[in-house]
Amino acid sequence: MEIVNKRTLDEIDSVLEFAKLGRDEIKSVTQSIYFSEQLDSEGIKLLELDTAVLTALENGERVIIRGDKEDSAVLCTESETFEVKLGEVSNALLIVPDMTLGSELTDTLLPSIQYQQVNSVMHTFYELRKMKPRLQKLRSLLEENPYAGQAAEGDVDHQGTKYTFNELLNLVQGSEREIKIALEKMQAIVIDGYWRVLDFDFLVQVMSHLLQLCDENSWLDQGIPIQECLSVLQDIFPRTVIEHVLKNFADKITPATGKDDDEKHMQIDIDYYRLNEDKVCRFFAEQILKHARKFNLSQFLSTWEKSVPDGMKTSVSQLEGIALIDRDSNPEVISYMTVDTLPEEISERFNHLFRIREKWSLPEITPYIKDLTTDKMDVTAMLTKSFKNTQYWFSSGNGLGDCFCNLKDFDAIVLI
Amino acid sequence: MVQIHVKLASEKGGYQEWAMIELQGTLETRNPIPFSGRFIGDLHFTHKDVPILIIGHHILYGKVVTLEKPYGILVKDAEVTDRAPGAGQTSYTIRAVIRKKLLFKTRPKPIIANVPKKV
Repeated sequence: MEIVNKRTLDEIDSVLEFAKLGRDEIKSVTQSIYFSEQLDSEGIKLLELDTAVLTALENGERVIIRGDKEDSAVLCTESETFEVKLGEVSNALLIVPDMTLGSELTDTLLPSIQYQQVNSVMHTFYELRKMKPRLQKLRSLLEENPYAGQAAEGDVDHQGTKYTFNELLNLVQGSEREIKIALEKMQAIVIDGYWRVLDFDFLVQVMSHLLQLCDENSWLDQGIPIQECLSVLQDIFPRTVIEHVLKNFADKITPATGKDDDEKHMQIDIDYYRLNEDKVCRFFAEQILKHARKFNLSQFLSTWEKSVPDGMKTSVSQLEGIALIDRDSNPEVISYMTVDTLPEEISERFNHLFRIREKWSLPEITPYIKDLTTDKMDVTAMLTKSFKNTQYWFSSGNGLGDCFCNLKDFDAIVLI
Repeated sequence: MVQIHVKLASEKGGYQEWAMIELQGTLETRNPIPFSGRFIGDLHFTHKDVPILIIGHHILYGKVVTLEKPYGILVKDAEVTDRAPGAGQTSYTIRAVIRKKLLFKTRPKPIIANVPKKV
């Protein structure tokens, strides 16, 4: 675009003279700055680009801004999620597309002029801040219609909405990778193209058939030959479901480099799985706790021990993240509490936890907050930060380790 | 949920590198006339690459700042309409990236021209 009434070298020189700026002090090229005739400050938006986002864009990844009326907008690369916030500056940001920086100016022998145009003046920009994806919605979506076996699909209870991966992407504020990880963590499975969680009672049925079969064939010790197991159970449950359950409760046995070569050759074609003791015991604890909610601890422990398959050993450590033990009450009680249902926002999470219980030891609270940690903030850092203002952190010094409690309860705890 | 696709300009050579001038405060003219097409000022660089901006009767010394997080210039793409309103997907293209800015944050010094010599 042509600039009318172009500035001349004479005009520039006379201003320099007034300003007492010698020609010898400056580079020979002057850039005269104009507002563009098509000055348009609404047509563009400034987006602060995090290095990870720029790299993702350069690699041709899908980058999407997702938002609806309820949630604030987020930007997702294929693997990460960023909060999008509008920032305001009182300064004027003049966008000059072709302006040259001093270091890049080619010196000319005689003074010369370049005409530059400002095409927009900005006072706002969008900031990106890396965040944890908002995945709680994922669980509630999948729980609209849990899978309870092929026969139950037609039931009135199982007509809730089912979601494909693309539909979930449309509804959940998280990147593809984060959503895939979360689906795996909540042990979701694809059935007929839809992501589903298994109905708990249905899972109990699958497990009991599986465990019975293991018992009859002494597979608990020897390992489960997967193909044989599948061929027996596939009359009752879909193969994909059995495989899924095995994957979640058993580990593939890596063939030991045995000394006996003959035996090794015999077994080479068969995949064996061994039930994971911790996972199976945890599952049995969940069965007991889920229905009772609160339980006398010693009664619970003995019931639990009797319920698990022969040869498996229960241990309180297996309950991490699914149950709370209250040792201060008399008798001691245990109650069911999973991290999945807690608020995702840090301060809300703490408020919730401290409503349930007034004080927590570090090992007790860790399973209920560790999902909120980031590379930059571990559990301890998160506690210290959250407790700086309103609450109090102290070392109990009584051998129970560090405790975190509300400041208002401080008097009560000093007496202990 | 609204999904807005963001991509880098894919024309030859990819996105452009643009520059930016940051001025403290806002630019105002004596009369409320549109800015379009108006002259702002002369930008010079010293031999040490310090930017000097002369606007009206003011001289400003600035510095070149490398942005910690570069700015992407987002331009809304023409909506691909399937005739039905709202059916078209909104998307943005990053036309350019700004990595450096000229920051003028010092108080402008007035230029006093033709000071009459008083006795």
